[in-house]
Amino acid sequence: MNSDYSHLEMMVIAASRLLSDHQKVLVGTGIPLVAGALAKKTHARKMKMLMEAVAYDCDPESLPFCVADPRAVYQTKWLPTPVEVMGQYLQGGDIDFGFLGGAQVDKFGNLNSTCIGTYQKPRKRFEGSGGASDIALMAKNTIIIMSHEKRRFVDAVDFITSPGWYCRSLDGRSRMMRSEMGMAGGPYAVVSTLGVMKFDEVSKLMYVDSYFEDLGVELATIEQETGFAIDVSRARPLPPPTHLELETLRTKVDPEGIYMKY
Amino acid sequence: MDNTKIIELKQVREHVHSGDRLWIGGWTLVRKPMAMLYELIKARLTDLHIVNNPGGPDTDLLIGSGCVSKSETNYIGHEVFGHPYNFRRMLEEADPAMPFLHDDWTVGTGTMRILAGALGIPFIPTKFLRGSDLLSPEHDGFKEIRGIDPKVPKIKFATMKDPFWEGEEFVLVPALRPDVCLLHVQEVAEDGTARISGGAFLDYYAAKASRRVIISAEKIVAQGSPHKAFDENVIPGELVDHIVEVPFGGHPTAVHGHYDNDPFWFQEYIAASKSKDKMREWLEQWMHASESFEHYLHKVGRRRLDRLVADGALGYSPNIVRRLDKIKEVI
Repeated sequence: MNSDYSHLEMMVIAASRLLSDHQKVLVGTGIPLVAGALAKKTHARKMKMLMEAVAYDCDPESLPFCVADPRAVYQTKWLPTPVEVMGQYLQGGDIDFGFLGGAQVDKFGNLNSTCIGTYQKPRKRFEGSGGASDIALMAKNTIIIMSHEKRRFVDAVDFITSPGWYCRSLDGRSRMMRSEMGMAGGPYAVVSTLGVMKFDEVSKLMYVDSYFEDLGVELATIEQETGFAIDVSRARPLPPPTHLELETLRTKVDPEGIYMKY
Repeated sequence: MDNTKIIELKQVREHVHSGDRLWIGGWTLVRKPMAMLYELIKARLTDLHIVNNPGGPDTDLLIGSGCVSKSETNYIGHEVFGHPYNFRRMLEEADPAMPFLHDDWTVGTGTMRILAGALGIPFIPTKFLRGSDLLSPEHDGFKEIRGIDPKVPKIKFATMKDPFWEGEEFVLVPALRPDVCLLHVQEVAEDGTARISGGAFLDYYAAKASRRVIISAEKIVAQGSPHKAFDENVIPGELVDHIVEVPFGGHPTAVHGHYDNDPFWFQEYIAASKSKDKMREWLEQWMHASESFEHYLHKVGRRRLDRLVADGALGYSPNIVRRLDKIKEVI
């Protein structure tokens, strides 16, 4: 077992590996931004990174604090408003990958960033959707990134902020498969601190695609930390970080440890 | 020279009223019109109806000050700095003495709604919201006042089949119609023309959609100052009712090319906002006991402000420590 790097670092590196050149990627604040910036500075230099408030094709030198940060603006090729980024590019179906975090994810990839408990009387209230609901709905693929804990990986989320594969019907009263509702896109992967999960072609249920064996993660650990029965039969170990990935993350992407918490 | 739009900061109180639907410009941690909001807090305004999408420390602070009774927005928070405890508390520990209704939206629909407002149309179709619990009738935060409060749309959303082309089902969302729009920008000319650098976000659309527009700026400049490119003129003067010069008027949020976020402010504010009592003390100290915005800045201190000043080429300050767990007060 290698302990020279953290689960958090591996999560970001695994997520960055899902991105490639020539894609348009819309990233949310926080860890998604770190993974996007890492891809952009390593293997996906020609990827276009967008931020909902202000940025089209950005490659920040210093990690932005939010999607409107002057750091996101620096040397960015075009400064659109949300009317263009969200209203036209995202709603127009031009975004290849959306990159999201959240408080809870369920076995169908629905994401909750609204509340725990009931909506009317929440036990815990969060900041709200921001652009997450829109991105999960309209990007061609969505990557979800979050810490792997039983309280976060749940059978059904308390509130569907951002639709996954089995989501809310248009009358708001029942649940339907995404395809039945004529919605394109959908969750492509969930990258956690333990591994990378994907969704079955037919059942649309989450399964373990790869896991961080090099960090000592076992499939039993993933099963324990997941709040629903998860298929681990297809799982393979994910190669550990390369020197370039770790070095870039530590010295160029988040040297202050804002998100990596060094 | 047309300088009839220039007001003093304190006069902002005369142009924003309890009950107004308020759009606050900028974006979460960036270019928020904080100095003007401080005036509203000191004037102890109540019953404001927040419609900006999204909100940052501006919105959490107004809520914590008891100025807000309704909000319809997609996000309220301090991004990576920490959580919006005043907003949270209002919903987690609802206090019958302080009624507060919150209706959740998304960045995409907030954008479409203010765009509809700017276009002068009552609603707009969108592809967003489908599949989300935000569409469920039981999650309509304004359910009990729809059809009663004329400042709130009669229903949250409607659906309609496209009658012109493929017949796909669309969600219709109501326009946002702010009574007043407060913006903070880098420069404003005497006629109200606003110059913004580093991204305008939804500021232009909000100004167009709002009945009254008040802009604070780092600097009021003569119209057509030759050193400035006209392509930074984002909002035409005719949309703007009042302007006020307030250097550091966006503090503690970032203003591109001028100054960065003030991590010390966020550290102290977020810690205080965790409890009602501490929040009250914070409000007393930083709001009510500050005679003026200059006095407030004096209390923040020159050394702290100097550290925030943006590098001209970068647009932000490379000198600030951005991790709240690693900062200590500047000595």
